[in-house]
Amino acid sequence: MNLLSKPWIWSWSAAALTFVLTIGLTSGRGAGELAYAALSFGAFAAIVGLGQMLVITLGPGNVDLSIPATMTLAATLALKAMASMPGTALLGLMIALAVGLGAGLANYALIFLLRLPPIIATLAASLIYQSLAIWSNRGLRIKPPQELAEFATGRFLSIPNVAWVGLALAVVVWIVLERSVWGRWLLATGQNMRAARLAGVPIEFVRATTYLSVSVFAGLAGYLLASFSGGAALNMGAEYLLMSIAVVVIGGSSIAGGNSNVPGVWGASLFMFLVISMLNSYGAAAGAKNVLTGTIVIAIVIAASTRKGRI
Amino acid sequence: MKISKMLLGAASIALIAGAGHAGSHLTDTSDKRIALSNNYAGNSWRQAMLQSWEEMGSAAVADGVVAAADAYTTSESQATEQAAQIQNLILQGYDAIVINAASPTALNGAVKEACDAGVTVVSFDGIVTEPCAWRIAVDFKAMGKAEVDYLSSRLPEGGKLLEIRGLAGVFVDDEISEGIHAGVEEHKQFEIVGSVHGDWAQDVSQKAVAGILPSLPEIIGVVTQGGDGYGAAQAFKAAGRPTPLIVLGNRQDEMQWWADQHAENGYETLSLSIAPGVSTLAFWVAQQVLAGEEVPKDLTVPFLKVTQDTLQETLANTPEGSVANVTYALEDAQAVIAEAN
Repeated sequence: MNLLSKPWIWSWSAAALTFVLTIGLTSGRGAGELAYAALSFGAFAAIVGLGQMLVITLGPGNVDLSIPATMTLAATLALKAMASMPGTALLGLMIALAVGLGAGLANYALIFLLRLPPIIATLAASLIYQSLAIWSNRGLRIKPPQELAEFATGRFLSIPNVAWVGLALAVVVWIVLERSVWGRWLLATGQNMRAARLAGVPIEFVRATTYLSVSVFAGLAGYLLASFSGGAALNMGAEYLLMSIAVVVIGGSSIAGGNSNVPGVWGASLFMFLVISMLNSYGAAAGAKNVLTGTIVIAIVIAASTRKGRI
Repeated sequence: MKISKMLLGAASIALIAGAGHAGSHLTDTSDKRIALSNNYAGNSWRQAMLQSWEEMGSAAVADGVVAAADAYTTSESQATEQAAQIQNLILQGYDAIVINAASPTALNGAVKEACDAGVTVVSFDGIVTEPCAWRIAVDFKAMGKAEVDYLSSRLPEGGKLLEIRGLAGVFVDDEISEGIHAGVEEHKQFEIVGSVHGDWAQDVSQKAVAGILPSLPEIIGVVTQGGDGYGAAQAFKAAGRPTPLIVLGNRQDEMQWWADQHAENGYETLSLSIAPGVSTLAFWVAQQVLAGEEVPKDLTVPFLKVTQDTLQETLANTPEGSVANVTYALEDAQAVIAEAN
């Protein structure tokens, strides 16, 4: 097994390269600071990216577009319930996860019962979740409880706590995908749903659990992000729609499904943060920044996918 | 006793004159219907804007000033969607449409249709360039320049600045940034060494600032566009850097942070933004136009400034997690109109 044939190597190389280029500008100062920031902010993209990866693995047409709205709704309701009071962090977490679970159930119900294509179902549902978030709190930012804010912005062994959460989740997802029956079922479903069904894979169970997982991950990410940045905002999830899909694709998972890549998602999450930081540090104008980001992303996707074609 | 009675009399005459203002030399507007066409509701500023409209609108309907003051918001913030909405409002027979537009030019066709159908169109915040509409604009350039002017008064020796911009490609972002750069041009002791886009959101700003900070020298001031100051402060704190002078944008969490910092170490700054209640100003302007008042097409709304002296009072009046706000009354609209005349 050649190292270059691993699809995840491309996102990690790109992340390392942008890191070196950014640090090159400061002649070495601030390397720790930048790595720390990349791990903190990369964690949120990684958590939603892992969920999106599971859904995309389900096969063509499967994608969850309700991630931003689920994040916003989970964070809004959790922070409202906690009302900045000490000792409520666990309650908030439970609410955020429950909202995620509810959103996942609703999404799957639309897909299964109404036979809607997942793109339409999750997009329509996201409008409802976003409206619920607006209706429940009219966009007021409530501060997280002190100890939760300290946890979300704190560090352990000089790695951000949120990155630990993201890493732990990545390990769990990796084990489930590589070592459990459910993981095999998911891959089989993604590669050929009809063949999987004929082989006795409970494909509707697999689909249901996948759509539940992604929403629970989104709920968790929303809860952590709101605690990290000092409150839930109505537009807090907006950038995670494309981000969640981008990190999956850049990470080397197949957009056609049936093939997922956990380490690549983390590499891509770090890269997505670092590339913006690099372009900002070099003082690129907004237009140039977008063009360059797009070009770099396309280049990596091409590199990662041509290699994979040979396996 | 006599004097107080006279005063009371004068006051009640003024009150009657005020309430029946439309009846004095102007047309009665009690049978007129005004609609708000809004393109976005997904942040706290817009929510406060809609709430101001709702409160003032229902009061105006109850007082019989107008027959209806309904608010409509599009779901996707698309110009095409808002154009269709405006066409619907024309068909529904509204006498005036107050618009916060998704684009300064893309709605011009629909706005022209409204004007041709005899509907009064007043745009505010997100204004439209169609000549037949009224515009209540904010002098965003002056706002950007005011930030640098303030910094130069506080830091006469100058230094390096970080600029946090808004959403790339939106004209407000270009205007404020232009004002900031004009200010830096004037106060040569300042230099902008870094610029990031914070999308007017705390979490996006925090992320962008955290990413650029490692490559920056010592920063003494941060110029912003509103909604991003708290995120910037968090990023500086996380990086273990001293907190620079951050110009804020009237969000409650920013002002609370400012008050806490002030209590702790005497931190002072300036906060300025547009009050979301500008929607109510637009309402009164529309009402005045309907009443037959001569109103110039281009009006300017002052921005709301919070200083150390007014911080506590503003903070007390701002709901937790919201934005500092002012609800404008008929008199304010008349003052703005008189100023433009």
